[in-house]
Amino acid sequence: MNVTPEGKCLLWLSAAEVTPAKVDALTEAYGSATAVWEAFGKPDGPRFPAQAQDRLSRLHSQAAMDALLKRLDEKHVQLLFRTDAAYPPQLLAIDDPPYVLYYAGDAGCLSRPMVAVVGTRRSSQYGRSMAKSLASGLARAGVCVVSGLARGIDEAAHEGALEEGGATLGVLGSGINVPYPPEHTMLLRRIAGGNGLVLSEYPLDAEPVPFHFPHRNRLISGLCLGVVLVEGRLKSGGMLTVGAALNQGREVFAVPGRVGCQGSEGPHTLLREGARMATCAQDVLEDLGLVPLQAPKPPTEDETLTSTQRSIIHALKVEPMNVEELQKQTGIDASALLSELGMLEIAGLIEREAGNRFVLPIGK
Amino acid sequence: MLARTLSCGLDGVNGFLVEVEAFLSGGMIGFEIVGLPSAAVRESRDRIRAAISVSGYRFPVAKVTVNLAPADIKKEGTAFELATAVAVLCASEPKGFAGLDKTMLLGELSLNGALMPVRGALAMAITAAEQGIEHIVLPRKNARECECVSTVHLYPADTFQEVIDHLKGKRLLSEHPHVTYNQLLEAQVVVNDLKHVKGQSLARKALEVAAAGGHNMLMVGIPGSGKTMLARCLPGILPPLSYEESLETTLIHSAVGELCDGGGLITQRPFRSPHHNVSMPAMIGGGVKAKPGEVSLAHNGVLFLDELPEFQRATLEALRQPLEDGFVNITRVNGQSRYLSRCMLVAGMNPCPCGNLGSKTQECRCSPVDIKRYLSRISGPLLDRIDIQVEMDAVTLEEIESAREQEDSATVASRVLAARTRQRERYRRLPIHSNAQLDQRGVEQFCQMDEPARKLLRQAVERFHISMRTYARIRKVALTLADLASHDRIQPGDVAQAIQLRNVEGRFWR
Repeated sequence: MNVTPEGKCLLWLSAAEVTPAKVDALTEAYGSATAVWEAFGKPDGPRFPAQAQDRLSRLHSQAAMDALLKRLDEKHVQLLFRTDAAYPPQLLAIDDPPYVLYYAGDAGCLSRPMVAVVGTRRSSQYGRSMAKSLASGLARAGVCVVSGLARGIDEAAHEGALEEGGATLGVLGSGINVPYPPEHTMLLRRIAGGNGLVLSEYPLDAEPVPFHFPHRNRLISGLCLGVVLVEGRLKSGGMLTVGAALNQGREVFAVPGRVGCQGSEGPHTLLREGARMATCAQDVLEDLGLVPLQAPKPPTEDETLTSTQRSIIHALKVEPMNVEELQKQTGIDASALLSELGMLEIAGLIEREAGNRFVLPIGK
Repeated sequence: MLARTLSCGLDGVNGFLVEVEAFLSGGMIGFEIVGLPSAAVRESRDRIRAAISVSGYRFPVAKVTVNLAPADIKKEGTAFELATAVAVLCASEPKGFAGLDKTMLLGELSLNGALMPVRGALAMAITAAEQGIEHIVLPRKNARECECVSTVHLYPADTFQEVIDHLKGKRLLSEHPHVTYNQLLEAQVVVNDLKHVKGQSLARKALEVAAAGGHNMLMVGIPGSGKTMLARCLPGILPPLSYEESLETTLIHSAVGELCDGGGLITQRPFRSPHHNVSMPAMIGGGVKAKPGEVSLAHNGVLFLDELPEFQRATLEALRQPLEDGFVNITRVNGQSRYLSRCMLVAGMNPCPCGNLGSKTQECRCSPVDIKRYLSRISGPLLDRIDIQVEMDAVTLEEIESAREQEDSATVASRVLAARTRQRERYRRLPIHSNAQLDQRGVEQFCQMDEPARKLLRQAVERFHISMRTYARIRKVALTLADLASHDRIQPGDVAQAIQLRNVEGRFWR
């Protein structure tokens, strides 16, 4: 990897997780990162907290830095500095843009328009299918879907984009070598191996310590034109991302949920405060000016359905129902109802939720 | 000076004839039992001595030696005590005793001379019948379990005194009447009737299909959705127990002493619901005496495991082989016992540790990791043996209060019986008797689908990413549905319903 001497010094600082604010102050005081490197260890040199000081002094040799670069090469992890042309310009506009970005995957995504789809880890099936359908709609339109690689909504968003073969970007709260949560290692590989990108401002082997995540959220919103909150409580990581988005002047979208569900608290509060409502990818694309406005299509009835199947779908348009409720609504006897439901499910016209309740699929 | 009586020992669930010999000789006064007696048998010396004295006879003042033949099999239990006491008495005062070589004597003695019930009386009565022994004197509480063995005369007794009077011909015991198996069947009542189960039409259907094809079944549902109630209804809709099946089952229950309080031949299919802290020997069988476990006690019936993930993993894994083979082999140093264990496994579990996942009214407090960990306690291979999986929603108050009469067990049972008859006819040349027992080749051979059904199933495989193993299981369940509907080949409706009875796995264990 070719890194300028100045870049190497920034990498050195990053390896000890020195914050962007501190680095900015130091480079201003000393003139450049190289000057900081040279002054390090001298009596009037820069001072760091004990742990960072320790780590910096261990890496304070050309040999150690070369070993570090070699390791990055081995792991196929690339670097981006603020001065690089590929460094996302929208990140430079936020308050404390990272001075080093570690990434793996296709840097081409960074030039696409980006939209974040975020939400709680404790998601409902509704939330996950909304996130998935939003993400695939956005990916189809050429938007890069950004999220945090967490369980629940984040995972569904990445999956949705991947299913469409679209671009997706995961921002980690740990080093790229330490995927968190561990069961998402495969997901991470699929993103970085396809036409997606995994990104982190933390050094290769940084642990996923709790304070990284709120800090990481400012990158998710900073990269994007807008942030869509799918589900989340009032105090949640998703709401922090939205807060960051508002500070950075990004558009905020919220997906309406069912009143009374805990995941709906966040989005509904945002909607009351004037966030834009997102019920499908088209809503987001139109509001961000990424596609021209379209007139809504009139609903079409499927000609191939039998009248019983149509009556089942008609009943489910009101709300999700279980077999008993459907039986009461449609008057079909249990065995016949079961086989009709089976056929509709196989055809993908209805879906099953927890508790054996049937719903109409989202985005169909 | 020498007397001989007949009794019976128990090896696993089978009896073996034991000859009890008593010999009085001069020498040091004492009482010794030989012939591999266990501790309980050795202890019986004191009970025998007391029972003889209390009943008004004199325990011989001599060196008393009792031999239990065959001498190379370990003798367990207390069933020899009556025979030993009679042999000792007969050896010292032989006058008046008659027919000792045609009478099997069974029973434990208490210190006051009363006759106490023993384990395995049915197996012993069957042994007597096989050996051509015509009379059995046995404790009154054991009489009912033997009443179907028509070739022996049963003489229930309450005390040692009565037995001696009978054997000496002073006052004969009255004979216990024989009963035919059909009379017993007619007398039984269905305790848990399906008509009391409100709502849950999907789970009711699943239960019916499980009964019709002998499929194992898993119910996933929030607490109070009626899993246990439904499971209890299963014995009532299964086909009635045949005489042979009843004997098999009763032998096992008799051997563990469950019939000692006067129970008769088992005519209802057993329903066993061990608590989830059950140990492996208690579930599979074993322990020092290699006793049958719950899976054998459920033979020809239902083994219900509520809160499936709470069971010890090793216990669940050990269930796989008995469920597959229909028997358990328990090997101990001094021999091997084989217990039948052909039962249906019905399991219930919550969808998550707190139980509220998917509830309309309660919020689930579990994290995704908690749920994953909870579900991962059930291994894939065990799940593979469960053909039917249904998820159940809570029953609403409205449904409970609705007066709508539900179908009763008798109606469902008649459909199940018809489906089972079709299967027996189809598999008459094979060693299997229900759809659940079909192996891979059998599935190919018997689960014939018509073209639209094949197309539908192919579509389902693609949509739900169904594994080939699940594919075979769906075909088996579809065949049972076809049997219930009297279709000769599997039709699209059967496939669609089979999919409905199976989808839990996709959502919970992906």
